[in-house]
Amino acid sequence: MKPKVRSKVRGVSNLKPDGIKKSGEQAFEWWGQSPEDARRLMVRKSRALVNKGVSLRAAIEKYIKDGINIGIGGFVNTRVPVAIVHEIIRKGAKDLTLSFQSSSICAELLAGAMLLYPDHLSIRRVEMAWWGYEVIGIAPLLRHLASDGMTQLDDYTNYGMSARFKAAAMGLEFIPVRDHGGSDMERVNRGKMVESPFTGKNTYLVPACYPDVGLLHVTAADIYGNCRIFGALCTCPEIAMAATHSIVTVERIISNESIRTFPNLTEIPYLAVDALIEQPFGAYPGICYGHYWFDMAHIQMFRSASDEFRKSGNQDLLKKYYEEYIFGCETFGDFLNKMPQETFEKIKQLDGGQPIILD
Amino acid sequence: MLAYTPLEMISYTGSRILEDNKIVFVGTGLPMIAAMHAQLTHAPGLGMIFEAGALSPVLDIGMPLSVGDTRACRKACYLKGLCAVFELTQRGFADYAFIGGAQIDMYGNVNSTFEGGSYIKPRTRFPGSGGAGAMAANCEKSIIIMALEKRRFVKKLDFLTSIGFGDGSSDYREKAGVMGSGPYRVITHEALFGFDEKNKGMTLLEVAPGKIPEKIQEKVSFALQVSTDLREMKTPTKEDLRLLREVCDPEGYFLSRKVE
Repeated sequence: MKPKVRSKVRGVSNLKPDGIKKSGEQAFEWWGQSPEDARRLMVRKSRALVNKGVSLRAAIEKYIKDGINIGIGGFVNTRVPVAIVHEIIRKGAKDLTLSFQSSSICAELLAGAMLLYPDHLSIRRVEMAWWGYEVIGIAPLLRHLASDGMTQLDDYTNYGMSARFKAAAMGLEFIPVRDHGGSDMERVNRGKMVESPFTGKNTYLVPACYPDVGLLHVTAADIYGNCRIFGALCTCPEIAMAATHSIVTVERIISNESIRTFPNLTEIPYLAVDALIEQPFGAYPGICYGHYWFDMAHIQMFRSASDEFRKSGNQDLLKKYYEEYIFGCETFGDFLNKMPQETFEKIKQLDGGQPIILD
Repeated sequence: MLAYTPLEMISYTGSRILEDNKIVFVGTGLPMIAAMHAQLTHAPGLGMIFEAGALSPVLDIGMPLSVGDTRACRKACYLKGLCAVFELTQRGFADYAFIGGAQIDMYGNVNSTFEGGSYIKPRTRFPGSGGAGAMAANCEKSIIIMALEKRRFVKKLDFLTSIGFGDGSSDYREKAGVMGSGPYRVITHEALFGFDEKNKGMTLLEVAPGKIPEKIQEKVSFALQVSTDLREMKTPTKEDLRLLREVCDPEGYFLSRKVE
C-alpha cells in the first residue's frame, strides 16, 4: 500500500488523534450537495429573466428545510444577512450544516436559537474559519456549543473556506490551496494532502462547498436579481454561485437599465438568484458600505446577554432578546421599528456617505 | 522617561519593524495601529491588505474596527473579496503577515483554535484560524504579537493553527506546501524576538530598557536563544505617543484595553 502523503505536522503540537475524523481514514462525505447533484439541480432551473421579488417569509418557507447546508454571506459584521437569519429562526429548522468564512452575529443568533429552543432549531455541524466579534470580543455561544461538543466543527482558514466556495462556483470537486498544510487543520479538517501529479510536491486540496441555500445581503440589485456590491465583496459572489438556491436581501432595488449600462458592476448574475427581497437595513446591526456602519451598542447588548448565559447558565436575558426582537416581530421591519430613529441617523452618518453607483 | 503602556510599546515596535514600500497584511487591532503609525512616520509607502478584500486603502475616516469594515475599504487601490487578497499572498505580493494568537512555541507556530480538552470537546474554544493560518503560510514573513507570559510561550501548542517553522526541520514548510519563508519577529512589550537562521529557534534580539535576558526567560516555557548582538528596544518618543493616541486610535478601542 502506498504510504499516506502528509506534511511533518504530527507530533509538533499536543493534539491527540483520538476522535478526529479525517477524510483519508474514512469515506468522504459531502456536507452539502455533491458536484454532480449540484449540477443536476442547476441544469433543471429556469433561466427566465423574471422578477425574483418575493416576501422573505415565502422565500424561507420554500427553501429552508431540515438537514440542509446553509452558506452564510458577508464577513464578520459586514453585509451580514441578519434579516434572513431572523426569518429562519422564526420558521425553525433542524440538523442544519452552516458554512461560512468568518461570522459574528448571524452564527451567534442561530446558535442562541438552538440553545434556547432545541426542538425548533438545531445546528448539526459547522464548516468555518472564524466565529467571533473582532473588537467586541469572543463569541460566547460558539464557546458554549464547542465546549459541550454539541455541534461538530470543521476548521479551515478564511482562504480555505473562500476557496471551497470558489471551487463550487467553478463546478469543481476540490481546489489546491497553499495553506492548511503543516498546521493541525491538515489533521482535523476534510481536506487532504496529495502529491502533485506534475512535480510530486506536497499539495493541499480542500473539497468544494456546495451549500443548498446561500444567504446574502447586497448593496443593490435589479428586480431580476443582478446584484451590485460595493465595499468588500467578501465571498458573496462565490457563495451565490456555489449554492443551489440563493436568497438575497438588497438594500435598494435599481433599474435594469442601470445594470445594462454598467454590466461590469454586476457581481452576481440573475441566474444565481432565486429569491430577492428589498430590505433596507437588512444587515443591521452589521455594516452595509455606502448605506450604514454597524451599531456597536446593539451587538454588545446581544453579546452580553449571550455571555451571561454562557457564564451563569441563566437564559432570561437571552430569551428576552429572542422574544422581543425575533419572535415578537412579524417581519424584520417590525424589528427595525423597535430601534430609536436616532440609531439609523447615527449609523448612516458613521458610514460617511461612501460613494456607490445606483443609477 | 516617558510613560507608555505595554500596548503602545507593542504598536510602536510593530511600526518600527515594517519597512517602507512593502505590503503588510493586517488583522484587526494592534497590527492596524502599527501599520498606520509606520505610514505616518518612516514608511509612507507602506501598503496594507485587509482580508475582506481591500488593497492599500487610505484610513482617513477612522480606524477600522473590523477587517471588513467600510473604513478599511476607504480609497483603496483595489477592492475585491477574500479570494483576491489571499491569492495576492500565494502569488508573492504580500511581504508581511501581522497576526496574534493564544499560544506560541519556539518555532513560531501559533494556536488560535482551542486550549485544553480535545479538538472535539475543547475546554476553551477560540474563534479559529480566520485569516491567520493563510497569512502565516503565504505572506513572505510573519510578525506575531503575543503577551509575554509563560502560559502563552509554551513548549507545545494545544493546536497548531498558524504555521511557523513546525518542528524546526529545514524542509518543514516545503513539505507543508506553503510559499512564505515563515516567522520573522515576535513582538511583546518587554522583548523582541527573531528566529535563528540555522536551527529556526526563537531568539531574543532586544529587551526593553531595564530588562535582562534572565527575566525574559522566566516568562517563557522553552529555552530561548540570545542574540550575540542583543540590543535595547527603542521606546516611543512624545511624538510617537501623540500619533498613536490622537491619530491612530483616538477612541482608544485597542490601545486602552487592559492587558489580560
